[in-house]
Amino acid sequence: MKTLYVQGNTWLHRLSPGLKLGGLAVFSLLLFATRSPVVLAAAVFLAGAIHASMRFGVVRTWQQLRVILLSISILTVFTLLLNGPADALAVFLRLVALAVLAATITATTSTAEFIDTITAGARPLERIGLVKAADLGLAIGLVVRFVPEVLARYEAIRDAHRARGLKQRPLTLAVPLIIQTLRHADEIAAAIDARGIRGQNNRKLGEGS
Amino acid sequence: MDIRFEQAEARFEGRTVLHPLTLTLTERRIGIIGLNGSGKTTFARMINGLVTPAAGRVTLNGFDTASDGEQVRSAAGFIFQNPQNQIVLPILKEDIALGLTSRKLSREEKQAEVNAVLARFGIEHLADRRVHELSGGELQLAALASVLVTRPEILIMDEPTNQLDLRNRALVEKTVHSLEENVLVISHDLDLIAGFDRVLLFHDGRLLADGEPPVVIDRYRTLCAA
Ligand SMILES: Nc1ncnc2c1ncn2[C@@H]1O[C@H](COP(=O)(O)OP(=O)(O)OP(=O)(O)O)[C@@H](O)[C@H]1O
Ligand SMILES: [Mg+2]
Repeated sequence: MKTLYVQGNTWLHRLSPGLKLGGLAVFSLLLFATRSPVVLAAAVFLAGAIHASMRFGVVRTWQQLRVILLSISILTVFTLLLNGPADALAVFLRLVALAVLAATITATTSTAEFIDTITAGARPLERIGLVKAADLGLAIGLVVRFVPEVLARYEAIRDAHRARGLKQRPLTLAVPLIIQTLRHADEIAAAIDARGIRGQNNRKLGEGS
Repeated sequence: MDIRFEQAEARFEGRTVLHPLTLTLTERRIGIIGLNGSGKTTFARMINGLVTPAAGRVTLNGFDTASDGEQVRSAAGFIFQNPQNQIVLPILKEDIALGLTSRKLSREEKQAEVNAVLARFGIEHLADRRVHELSGGELQLAALASVLVTRPEILIMDEPTNQLDLRNRALVEKTVHSLEENVLVISHDLDLIAGFDRVLLFHDGRLLADGEPPVVIDRYRTLCAA
């Protein structure tokens, strides 16, 4: 299994996770506030420079970004067809800048830091009764944690198809993936309960079974 | 420690998996044996309330597993049949610390608790390792540490030596025998439970035999031969 997090001790690893996630949020808001190709290209350059300074290596960068870059390309083509080249360029630059910076932040922030930061950030929302901060932190942390695992499972199912000489149809790939993922999620949920990870008053809300 | 089943029954989708069962467990070392699918895991999950009875009642130290889940689960630690599934965070020391979330400790106090439990199992060197890179034996010890850091009174283990090579099996066996906590172990590893205080044999969702290890293990052997 790969993880989104890359262990290391770069300046970005050492930066406070709150600052990193806050910075990413501000960066993305600014990206959507402008359509100027020059400004957006500068943003791509900035994100790329930050990413490069981590020295993760080209292979890793490519592996981490290829799926999202594919989605961005498809989106760009559609925008080009529907709205013309100016919009397509803006969409492309904006999303690439965002994807690169987000990937870099995720790679330098451990899951535990994610959980702590989001929990702390959600405290004000908890005070006005909107969410349970600890649950929100845990939920987002779990997403970050299990995305690579779902991808790994997908690859294992695809390999099994190849090994058995089966044709890879979307349905025969998706069904086992969904079933396995749900079953795994059940186990993780049971473990979170068994280990008492969700605190006292939190449990009442989600008590299903 | 005091576990009581009072006519407790487990059903999945209308099918009875554990027939109404009444018994009291107070022994320090309890073994659970039985064929695949006989209901061992279901029985164990009823003790900590992961499975609640469809009829009857299960209590741990007087707390009802159906209504006092919080107290029950903090008294009972559970090691899953596949420990990989119970490790939530990718780095071992972070995962162990996660178990302490509900106790309001400072960062330093958490750190101290994590270090103490790692030292207890001699796995300090694994603190910064990625959990998915650990070997089977290391993973069992990691799971033990992540559960015992919360100081449960009883530890329930679902086939802890399954999938281990002989060396790691011996290591986990030794660790199980040296635990101060009360232990309830489901196992196909008959050597592990031979020295226990009490053994339960399940068959087709019913308790078939209950008593001293030699007698119950003999019964299991005849059952397997039949
Ligand atoms: N979540 C579930 N939903 C439906 N059926 C279940 C569920 N969990 C267990 N069962 C069924 O209950 C029966 C007993 O299962 P259980 O896991 O308790 O057996 P076990 O003795 O632990 O077996 P093994 O030695 O293979 O682990 C099986 O027939 C199983 O299919
Ligand atoms: Mg089982």
